[in-house]
Amino acid sequence: MTATATSPGVAAAAAPGTIQGARPPRAGKPKRRWTRTSIWGLLFTLPAALYVLIFHVIPVIYGFVLSFTKYSPLSRSGPEPIGLKNYTTLLSDPDFGNALLVTGRYVLQVLPITVIIALALALLVNRPFRGVGLFRSALYIPHIVSLTAVSMIWLWMYSHNGLINDVFAFFGLPDQSWLLNKGAALNAASAMRIWKALGSNMVLLLAGLQSIPKELYEATRVDGANRWQSFLYVTIPGIRPMLVYVVAMDIIYLAQGFAEIFVLTQGGPLGSTTTVNYLIYTQAFQYNQFGSASAMAFVLFAFIVGFSLLSIRGLMGRQK
Amino acid sequence: MTAPTATLRSSAVRSKRRGMNPRRNRVGMAVALVLAALAVLLPFFWMISLAFTPEKDAFRSVSLVPANPTLENFGTAFIDANLLHALYNSAIVALVAVIANCIIPVLAGYAFAMMPFPGSTAMFFGLVATSAIPVSVTLIPLFLMAKGIPLAGGNDIFGHGGSGLLDTLGGIMLPYLVAPMNIFLARQYFSTAPAELAEAARIDGAGELRIFFRVYLPLARPLIAVVAIFAFTAVWDDFLWPLVVTSSTEMQTVQLALARFLASGNVQYAPLMAASVIVTIPVLLVFLFNQRSFISGLSDGSVKG
Amino acid sequence: MRTTRRRRLAALAAAAAVATLLAACSSAAPENSSSPDGVKGKKITVWFPGTNQTEIDLVEKTIVPQFEKKTGATVDVAYYDWGDLSTKLNAAFAAGTAPDVFGHGPAAVADFVTNDRLEPLTRYVAAMPKKDREDLASALPGGQVGGVQYLMPLSMQGTSLVYRAADFTAAGLDPDNPPTTWEGVYKAAEKLTKRDASGKITHSGLLLPSQATGRQQTFAALIMSAGGSQVSTDMTKATFDSAKGVKAMNFFTKVYNGSDAVAAGLGSDYSDAPANQQPLVLGTASIAMQTADKTMQMIEANPDLDLRVMTPPKFEGAKKGYGLGGAGSGLMINADSTHKNLDWTFIKYMISAKVNAQYTEGIGKIPARTSAIKTDYVKGSPILSAFVKIGSDMRPNPNVPGWVQIRDTMDKYIEQGLHQQLPAEDALSQAADEANKILKANG
Repeated sequence: MTATATSPGVAAAAAPGTIQGARPPRAGKPKRRWTRTSIWGLLFTLPAALYVLIFHVIPVIYGFVLSFTKYSPLSRSGPEPIGLKNYTTLLSDPDFGNALLVTGRYVLQVLPITVIIALALALLVNRPFRGVGLFRSALYIPHIVSLTAVSMIWLWMYSHNGLINDVFAFFGLPDQSWLLNKGAALNAASAMRIWKALGSNMVLLLAGLQSIPKELYEATRVDGANRWQSFLYVTIPGIRPMLVYVVAMDIIYLAQGFAEIFVLTQGGPLGSTTTVNYLIYTQAFQYNQFGSASAMAFVLFAFIVGFSLLSIRGLMGRQK
Repeated sequence: MTAPTATLRSSAVRSKRRGMNPRRNRVGMAVALVLAALAVLLPFFWMISLAFTPEKDAFRSVSLVPANPTLENFGTAFIDANLLHALYNSAIVALVAVIANCIIPVLAGYAFAMMPFPGSTAMFFGLVATSAIPVSVTLIPLFLMAKGIPLAGGNDIFGHGGSGLLDTLGGIMLPYLVAPMNIFLARQYFSTAPAELAEAARIDGAGELRIFFRVYLPLARPLIAVVAIFAFTAVWDDFLWPLVVTSSTEMQTVQLALARFLASGNVQYAPLMAASVIVTIPVLLVFLFNQRSFISGLSDGSVKG
Repeated sequence: MRTTRRRRLAALAAAAAVATLLAACSSAAPENSSSPDGVKGKKITVWFPGTNQTEIDLVEKTIVPQFEKKTGATVDVAYYDWGDLSTKLNAAFAAGTAPDVFGHGPAAVADFVTNDRLEPLTRYVAAMPKKDREDLASALPGGQVGGVQYLMPLSMQGTSLVYRAADFTAAGLDPDNPPTTWEGVYKAAEKLTKRDASGKITHSGLLLPSQATGRQQTFAALIMSAGGSQVSTDMTKATFDSAKGVKAMNFFTKVYNGSDAVAAGLGSDYSDAPANQQPLVLGTASIAMQTADKTMQMIEANPDLDLRVMTPPKFEGAKKGYGLGGAGSGLMINADSTHKNLDWTFIKYMISAKVNAQYTEGIGKIPARTSAIKTDYVKGSPILSAFVKIGSDMRPNPNVPGWVQIRDTMDKYIEQGLHQQLPAEDALSQAADEANKILKANG
């Protein structure tokens, strides 16, 4: 109980010192030793680790093994080992190469826009005022409405006589067949995805903003900093860990973009919206080829992990 | 917890901010917020409008106000898709997932951030990396595992002989109880938490579990709110896993109920929208309830309540 | 829990009501008492291909209870949309939990057959009365692979050209005598097409499905009407890269491209759009290739609309015009089912004249039996009657292993042809090369 009673005061006192450095002993490359605390640390991670090991890691390993086989779930004989053939086939498959490019472009164009708008919205709804809960909810709604249902609305908005062309016509711009045009379809899908992802990004950044002790703002204000400076020197460093999470999460999920493509364009026109995960889905569930679907998944996995680590490095690195 | 000092300080900040903030600025922000909310909600407004439109008039006009409004679609949604029962199933699964996710991965993330041990970084990345594999690949092995859970659904100790957790609520919740991304999220959140609190508590002789539950968890209310919202939404939104793991109408989740109106080439638009609007409401309530944790902001006490 | 109980109660009450009704009926119909041997007390699971509510109500409240009463067996039914069935079945077959009887579209059948998952139905069909077999003659081929019956179609599907009679009149064409050749259709379409000052098409004379999957189906109808085929009769080689295929492809491309194009919106999925967003309803097109189901929905939403159905046109010089169609989705028996006798009894019940008429009316599709033309359901709808009348002009896509992949491959190259990224010859020969590889890998 002692700890509970003292915590707020300690938190306030300790916060200014800890926030920027993010604790050097943990951030650097420490030689960790087994201490009483670290053994407890291991124990704390065990329930989650065991669960993830059984229900996530094992299926992933199963999939990895399948990637070296030819396997249809319908077959009675089970997986048939074929070595690296699934991977070598991918190397020479222009459709797969194209899908990787499409996926990359998709991530790169959705991610920054989503994060920037979400951060702006999070800042707007971070202050308490009457009805703030309603605004936060309104901005979160796209994340929770059923994608298949709302995609019918988007399909209609994007259609030739849909809302978006009406808006364009209002401004005297020529109308477009958004989802039928090779140059526009991926952008159209991206717009829907940004719309859908804004809410979750905003909520996370909001939680990040909440973790910034207000005393820091007070301190910078006493030092005579203006709003922009306090944003730059307090807000951004304060939400950096959450920003890292948001960016990594967006990369992981966007790179697996599938559902929005499936409902809007079915990968077309001319393969311009065929993402890797779209190919994986068709390979697995349309053609029953789980071996090559798994191989694609692990190539995608390598890209996601590499790209996420790079961006985490980049975001954390600037701190030093 | 109450903290009179914090409240005092916050009111001081509030008065100071008021002096700094010109009214013009506030109006500007309010306008920006209203515009953003309207723009974001536009497709949703159309869903609501369609939900009140008779099916044969669906997409007939561009107007947001239905010409012949009807409640018929809601009736169809509740009766045909058996929506109440689906809401009940999804709610049970989602609540269990929320509770599990607010404890297990949060505890792990806390340990990864505050109590590192040899090999913890590698272990952390290993666990989180599983999120980067598309579901298409892991669906079937997971299905086989759900069927082979020992001692469930008539299975023996080796997981043979019965149907395991197939077509049960337990089976539906299987992949959601610990979301690896939540471990990551919690670790990030706790990475800025003050270590001094734990050190002080340890000196006072507090146990590690107590330090987590009594010191850090109360400080992590925004984190818990986010985890709760995301865990709930994840269960609520998923289609593929419940599709595969259930086989009876009794076990349908909300997304499966919605699929009733999504027959290929023969979508029933109006009932679909009505059902979707209904299905959105519980998540919205969960969100509204949890967002109250985001109270501290710039001017309120961070440890209120 | 409470909801479950209440639901069960409601279901019980409904079942009781139906049972009482049935008892009354069956006493008047003695043939209902003849129960096949060895099915009483047994239980099978059936997955239906469709989530249509009328279908579910009909199956759950009428057909299955009637069947259960008649046979003393129990039937557990679940319903899945086509798009979700493959996922469900893949997992279920991998885990050995697949149902006794399941439905799917004809396109999926060959892959199940290659993996030895289906019970051949030929001998069951052969045991049916000749009258029934003849009545089902146009439906059966769609469910065959290599001449062996594996799927019993529950309904028929058909696509044909549908047109707005008023537009024909306005353009000086005779709506009662529509063109009979594709060349004639094109000429009519040129008259019906409207352009704005810049030459952009504002009203399409003729729309052909050109979205994913749709373009393969359009091409299939065209090549068949040119006298060509997609796959050799022994199902081992792609034949769609023939001169007839090129002719079909060129026609398709011309509809959407060039100064004398007659259609706008290449790639747009008009065929699956909501009834009120259909070009024929909006008046943005005069002739469109469309399915029977969708056409009926359009009429239902707009009863005053005068839509007519064309007999599938042929290309000049070809013998006969065909539409893509034939068997719709149907039921198959799991090779591992332990109650095949009961499985077949159930399927036979589903395709019996009365039940099938009831069923297809419920789901708004074309009945599997030719004799259905005499039912009130068909007679009551001019659109449906027209589609039933041209039922014998419908031909299905080939049922070869790997078909879904072959179809998608064709689709990809047809798209490139349509966008004039490849000449028709190259698009088709490249598609044929890939299709032959798939055929070989699966053969």
